[in-house]
Amino acid sequence: MKTPAFAKGGSRSLDRLLPLILLPVALIALGPVVRLLLEGIGFGDGLTSAHLATVLSRPSTGTALLHSLITAGGGTVLSVLIGASFAFLVALTDIRGKGALVFCLMVPMMIPPQITALAWMQMAGPSSTLLKVLGLAPPLGSPQPLHSPGGIILLLGIQHASLVFLTLRAGLRMIPADLVEAARMSGAGSLRVWAQTVLPLSMPSLIAGGAMAFVTALGNFGILAMLGIPAGYATLPTLIYQRLVGMGPSVLPEVAVLSLLIGAVAILGILVSRYVLSRKGFGLVGLSGNPLALSLGRGRGAVEILLWGFIFVILGLPLFALLATSLIPAYGVPLTFASATFDAWKEVLFIQPGTRRAYGNSLMLATSAAAILLVISLPLAWLMERRANRLSRLLDALIDLPYALPGVVLSIACILTFLNLPFTDMTLYGTIWIILLAYLARFFVVMLRPIQASIAQLDPAMEEAAASVGARLSRRLRDIVLPLAAPSAAAGAILVFLTAVNELTVSALLWSSGTETLGVVIYNLEDSGETVMASALAMSIVLLIVMLMGLVQAGAKRFPKGVIPWQS
Amino acid sequence: MAELSFSNLSKQFDGVAALDSINAQITSGEFVALLGPSGCGKTTLLRLTAGFEHPSAGEIQIGGHTVAGAGQFVPPEDRGVGIVFQSYALWPHKSVYANVAYPLEVRRVPRAERQARVAEALSLTGLSDLAQRMPSQLSGGQRQRVALARCLVFDPRAVLLDEPLANLDLALRASMQEVFSMFHRRTGATMLYVTHDQGEALALADRVAVMAAGRIRQFAAPEVLYREPVDCFVAGFVGDGAVVSARCTGQTDGARLVLNVLGQEVLSRSATPEPSHVSIRPESIAISEDAPLRARVTGCTYLGGQFRLTLDTAGETLVAFARQRARIGETVGIRLQDLWAFRDPGGVITMQRALAHA
Ligand SMILES: Nc1ncnc2c1ncn2[C@@H]1O[C@H](COP(=O)(O)OP(=O)(O)OP(=O)(O)O)[C@@H](O)[C@H]1O
Ligand SMILES: [Mg+2]
Repeated sequence: MKTPAFAKGGSRSLDRLLPLILLPVALIALGPVVRLLLEGIGFGDGLTSAHLATVLSRPSTGTALLHSLITAGGGTVLSVLIGASFAFLVALTDIRGKGALVFCLMVPMMIPPQITALAWMQMAGPSSTLLKVLGLAPPLGSPQPLHSPGGIILLLGIQHASLVFLTLRAGLRMIPADLVEAARMSGAGSLRVWAQTVLPLSMPSLIAGGAMAFVTALGNFGILAMLGIPAGYATLPTLIYQRLVGMGPSVLPEVAVLSLLIGAVAILGILVSRYVLSRKGFGLVGLSGNPLALSLGRGRGAVEILLWGFIFVILGLPLFALLATSLIPAYGVPLTFASATFDAWKEVLFIQPGTRRAYGNSLMLATSAAAILLVISLPLAWLMERRANRLSRLLDALIDLPYALPGVVLSIACILTFLNLPFTDMTLYGTIWIILLAYLARFFVVMLRPIQASIAQLDPAMEEAAASVGARLSRRLRDIVLPLAAPSAAAGAILVFLTAVNELTVSALLWSSGTETLGVVIYNLEDSGETVMASALAMSIVLLIVMLMGLVQAGAKRFPKGVIPWQS
Repeated sequence: MAELSFSNLSKQFDGVAALDSINAQITSGEFVALLGPSGCGKTTLLRLTAGFEHPSAGEIQIGGHTVAGAGQFVPPEDRGVGIVFQSYALWPHKSVYANVAYPLEVRRVPRAERQARVAEALSLTGLSDLAQRMPSQLSGGQRQRVALARCLVFDPRAVLLDEPLANLDLALRASMQEVFSMFHRRTGATMLYVTHDQGEALALADRVAVMAAGRIRQFAAPEVLYREPVDCFVAGFVGDGAVVSARCTGQTDGARLVLNVLGQEVLSRSATPEPSHVSIRPESIAISEDAPLRARVTGCTYLGGQFRLTLDTAGETLVAFARQRARIGETVGIRLQDLWAFRDPGGVITMQRALAHA
């Protein structure tokens, strides 16, 4: 007997302390949202529905709401069309190069919307460098065709097609193979099986994917602002932005109501998708497998060309246009071998203090957010998986909210919460910390879910074996859970970094001079007519993103299923 | 080494009893097998002993100290109890050496001593050549031995094994059984071994606890379980043979009772004066042509050296051994001798329910 009989003392202390992290997490992640809700019922000036009534009865509110619904709705229809076509073709047919195709379809999702908008604007319109090179540019003075509801819908549709694609493909994989085989045995041809068996069975995922696309489109500030504001086409997020930027914090109670309105529409969308998904399990039992391996025969080449051509139009062309614009000496100058120059790149990357500062800020914010979330999420995910209690389950259910809600809603919520720090005279408004806090709240799930997935896949016996040989909780977390969850944690951290480094929606409302982020600077450069510099900056960010995505992709085999968003 | 003791131990999961008032003492250095059909609570008892679950009622003592119950709970890491999982639970990111060394690292054993003890554990389990491999590069039997080495390296007070051989093929099982026996002889550790394979339990253990539906039915040495089962369940679950109801005639012959079994008067050993059933093992049936009790042969299989016959008589199915092959449908005479009788009214029904549940 070499072990002392039952050492007592602080052995269980970590076990008792660990649940305490639920509290700050809940406060940071959900506190602002709760604060916003309170504002709606007149928190601070006594219970009142006065703000609610005035704001809601204003005609501009109705118009913005209508515009939001039109653009998000139209974008969703387009997303469903694109995403579903790709999902059915990739999941059910024998086309080649599926991996590369999926990766390319996912790139628009990872590229920040303001860059997407900028790139597309470089592709169309009278000043398009690309069109000028090709000699196709419309005459000067003709309007930019994308500055219109149609342009907004087009871009929203393309940007969120991947959401529909991913949900639908995951759903298609759940369809039992024998169901399809049974249909084929009874003599139905491939197309018929698709129309009568596969399509009805995949309806729930299609609807759920559509709902996600709708909610995301509703809050897509980058596209709405870049295309809508010049066109004078106000939507709820841009209305909030313009009022707050124009009038300052004094309009807070009023924009709070607006953000509650858009939040309510978004939550409705989320509830619809959750409801549909929860009913998805209906009778789908049996071995799931490749439901259909439809042979396209001769048509395969044509379909492949069509798909790649489409990818080229939505991804290749805009990026070429963006690149072309970034290489000209001044906006409007045609691009030739003689005129091409890296001046704008040099300017934004090395000279302009504003853009350099923004790079610094964004990298700092993204790194800090990723690092902090990494440190908190590991024990938190462990707690939620292994020591679930009522509070942790509640947090688990609600922590999606700050990410799912439109970014402006979270920004307003954060301003309300941190304008006057509770119990002090200090304010975080105007400092970089408010952006960091907002990022922490917003990207919590991005970090948490992958780690949760990998801990859930971990055999609890691994930890029990460690406990039985004498390892305490802290050692078990460090020696067993951490190394085994590390790949997903790394993937989560890279995803947080990717999303945070380009983020515009939240920081657009929270920045002030000195704390501008990359997203804000691109928007401001474009807004003030510095399109060439904006393009160079945007292009440098796209390169950074594709590099990081490639990095994650290279390690894909080491991550548990479902960790990488562009692989289901 | 330490003795284990369970008193009135119960465990409910969401109000459903998995263990119901378990009482048992396991002496220091004893090799005990827990035997029972699936779902009877074997794993639950093991996990309670290891400290992965809290008891709903009752007490567990290890080496005379209460580790659970009576308002106390010692966490697994402080119990000094080693456990070998059916899934092995090797840490996939650590090499064989690192897996085995980890318990000593946690205990801050000095490096030199650590290396010596790991080397000893590896050589005891025949793993010395595989020390630098990763678990994914090992066969099932090798993984199981790593799990065993990891457990024995820190001299646990008791070793718990949960169906350690269930994932291995027959040949490997036999050789691993020898590894366990050898390990038990060398270390003298108290061992609690869960299995639903009665051959394994009877072959390895000093004593076997037969469980059904959350209770221990009988806790005794293998030969006692076989010769003197306490109820219909144990008689039917352990060993070959049949359980048949018996009627007392009121007569005795010395220590034995005269019972009416299948219409015959037979002498039977018994623990009670008023038994309700007898256990008829194959050795208790002698086949002889002039015997008054007639039985029809319904099956005949060769076991090597002898034949195993299944016989049908008066609606009961008996099992007997015979020197010669018998034709199916043939009628033979049988004589019953040296039976064991016990009292378990309504026992056959509960036995069938317990086995059907499994
Ligand atoms: N964590 C749990 N939650 C709820 N019920 C449980 C849990 N663990 C075990 N049970 C139930 O307790 C009963 C006993 O389970 P246990 O795992 O101990 O059986 P077992 O004897 O080990 O069976 P097997 O031979 O199949 O491994 C079963 O009915 C089981 O469903
Ligand atoms: Mg079990």
